[in-house]
Amino acid sequence: METAVLKETFMDKTNKKLGVNPEDALVSKVYLSLAFILLLVGGTLGLLQGLNRAGLLQLPVWLNYYQILTAHGILLVVAFTTLFMTGYFYAGVSHTLGGLTSKARKFAWSALASLLVGTVMIMTTVVMGEASVMYTFYPPMQASPWFYIGLVFLALGIWLAGTGVFVNAASWKKANRGQKLPLFSFFAVGGYLLLILGSLGITAEVLMLIPWAFGWTETVNVMLSRTLFWAFGHTAVNVWYLVAVSAWYVAIPKIIGGKTFSDVLARVVVILSVILNVPGGFHHQIIDPGITQSVKFMHVFMSLSIALPSLLTAFAMFAIFERAGRKKGATGLLGWFKKLPWKDVRFLAPMIAMITFIPAGAGGIAQTNNQLNQTVHNSLWVVGHFHLTVGVTVALTFFGIAYWLIPYLSKRVMTARLNKLGLIQTWLWAIGMLFMSGSMHWVGLLGSPRRTSFSTYGDNATALSWDPYLMFLGIGGTLLFAGVVLMVYIVFHLMFRAPKGHTEFPIAEEEENASPTPKWTERWGLWIVLAIAVISMGYVIPIVDMIVNAPPGSPGFKTW
Amino acid sequence: MRQAMYGLVLYVFLMLPPVANLAESVMTIHMHMQMPLFVIAGMLMTPFLKQQFPRFFAKWNSNGVPGIILFMIVVIYWMIPRTMDEALTIQAIEIFKFISLPFLAGVPLRDSWKKIRLVGKNIIFVTLSVICGFMAWLYIFSPEQLCNNYLIVEQITLGWAFLFLALSIMIYFVQQFFVDRSECE
Repeated sequence: METAVLKETFMDKTNKKLGVNPEDALVSKVYLSLAFILLLVGGTLGLLQGLNRAGLLQLPVWLNYYQILTAHGILLVVAFTTLFMTGYFYAGVSHTLGGLTSKARKFAWSALASLLVGTVMIMTTVVMGEASVMYTFYPPMQASPWFYIGLVFLALGIWLAGTGVFVNAASWKKANRGQKLPLFSFFAVGGYLLLILGSLGITAEVLMLIPWAFGWTETVNVMLSRTLFWAFGHTAVNVWYLVAVSAWYVAIPKIIGGKTFSDVLARVVVILSVILNVPGGFHHQIIDPGITQSVKFMHVFMSLSIALPSLLTAFAMFAIFERAGRKKGATGLLGWFKKLPWKDVRFLAPMIAMITFIPAGAGGIAQTNNQLNQTVHNSLWVVGHFHLTVGVTVALTFFGIAYWLIPYLSKRVMTARLNKLGLIQTWLWAIGMLFMSGSMHWVGLLGSPRRTSFSTYGDNATALSWDPYLMFLGIGGTLLFAGVVLMVYIVFHLMFRAPKGHTEFPIAEEEENASPTPKWTERWGLWIVLAIAVISMGYVIPIVDMIVNAPPGSPGFKTW
Repeated sequence: MRQAMYGLVLYVFLMLPPVANLAESVMTIHMHMQMPLFVIAGMLMTPFLKQQFPRFFAKWNSNGVPGIILFMIVVIYWMIPRTMDEALTIQAIEIFKFISLPFLAGVPLRDSWKKIRLVGKNIIFVTLSVICGFMAWLYIFSPEQLCNNYLIVEQITLGWAFLFLALSIMIYFVQQFFVDRSECE
């Protein structure tokens, strides 16, 4: 134990003296720069969509609403998040494990190449008007085969990035026998593991779609494709959430001057997320025909089980806040609330992200119910929901991370002015999303459909009654776009212009009297096997049914 | 003691007629959910039983081999398609299922697992995954309906479930060679 403590302080000192290894920093800086460039592109497309839905902007024929919608979805939900996750996790792995191995760096660069090739192929087909299939690319809508091949490269990139982290963690374990993997790296391993498990489904789907898109096979099994898509789609969203959660557990306590609430609890949250997540995809199909009622019923439980780790996190976060506040002299039941550093953007952004997760998570739970889902399923309500989860909880946490991660990587410091700018950005984002997501939720309940360009449906009275809300959607979208521009400015300022200096990578310490973390938390073999078991429990019965009792299958349609 | 209580509650819950009916209505759930849960219920009750009858376990299962053989016999017995049919149609066989899986499979498994040597455990892992693989082949490719009570499509589903089970056991078995067990236990 003595040597372990000595080693850590030694590592701390070297980290402080030398800072981040320039080669590792380059990996993360390139990933993060690309992520925020894509945020700018995707955000611009989002603005165009918002203005179109508000009825203020007529889009040209050569770049119509559905092309923009597809690009916006893929760029922000898949590309921005994956790039950010990789940049962030590699930086943290490098920091907590004393540098990346050269093998891991090679994996990171090849992953980047693959991700870029994939994104370029996808975007080219979308811009050419060959793939207006939304980011869910449900068959029987048929995109150009190169769109699907681009998706294969995206999946490959994810696997390569994940393998790099696994290889690095394994070599660290070998060199540090008997020590537990630092919590940050534990999150990274769990996050990539979950993403890889989820991407197996989409890979299978895309391998079915490619021959169909080339015309080598005539028909495709629509139900099966949708099921395989959501095995990924749902998991991916939860992976982004897990990335955000990692910062809540690891960085936030340090930023607010507190300590980790419980190392074990955080690890259990990661393990549960890995084991339980993939079958949750079914609740996205809860009103699909062709899935029996009993299977849907079972999946309500499978979906709700994912709420458990989220509730554990909520508990831990409040405990961290309260303890940190009381240490600063807070009294009374809620006195700690005032002691939180509200003027520090590194805290404010993720805090608003967390608060947003309360209505966002509740909305998610509502959607796992068959009847409630029927009310909202194809309406803008759903769009409002995932703009809260991914658009605020995840994105705003990512922004909050950027305020310390980027100066740490570029060996610069955040100035008071940038902090102020960050506060403005955060409030812009929060208010913009309040308008946009709020009006989407409301107008969705009134029946306004999602995935459709603006239309008054021949001046139908009901459709006209949506207009005031859609106007708010446009206003919110505009505020959000201003937020995107400001954020991208802040990011690149922190990367290239901010004053030189030392920024710490905030890693929370455990409480002095914390109980030691049991070693079973690192039985990854067991967690993988349990995850496979849960996935088979969820999928074997319905998928065999979908294949064996399949209808004739569908030829491709080009609806645009 | 608490564990034994949980085991007992699970045991009684699984035997409640509506629960048992629901679990037995789908072939895969019958074999891969209800039956393993009975085994788990038995495993949870094992420490209590060992505490009550220490001499019995010491005498009959001193090195773990008799227990593990009993476990394998019972488990293989319940993998035979006909036994599932009989459990559904003959009340006595259903009762035998309720008794045999927890007490003749779950209890001896937990008692023996600590006692048998590593090579014994490896043999069990390999045997079980091979058997599951064989059952997968049988249930997926059999052109005949193997159980009177279940349709062919359910049979195929069960086959795939067996394949995943075989795969899971195999992955678990293989990963232990790469992971230093003293590190994580």
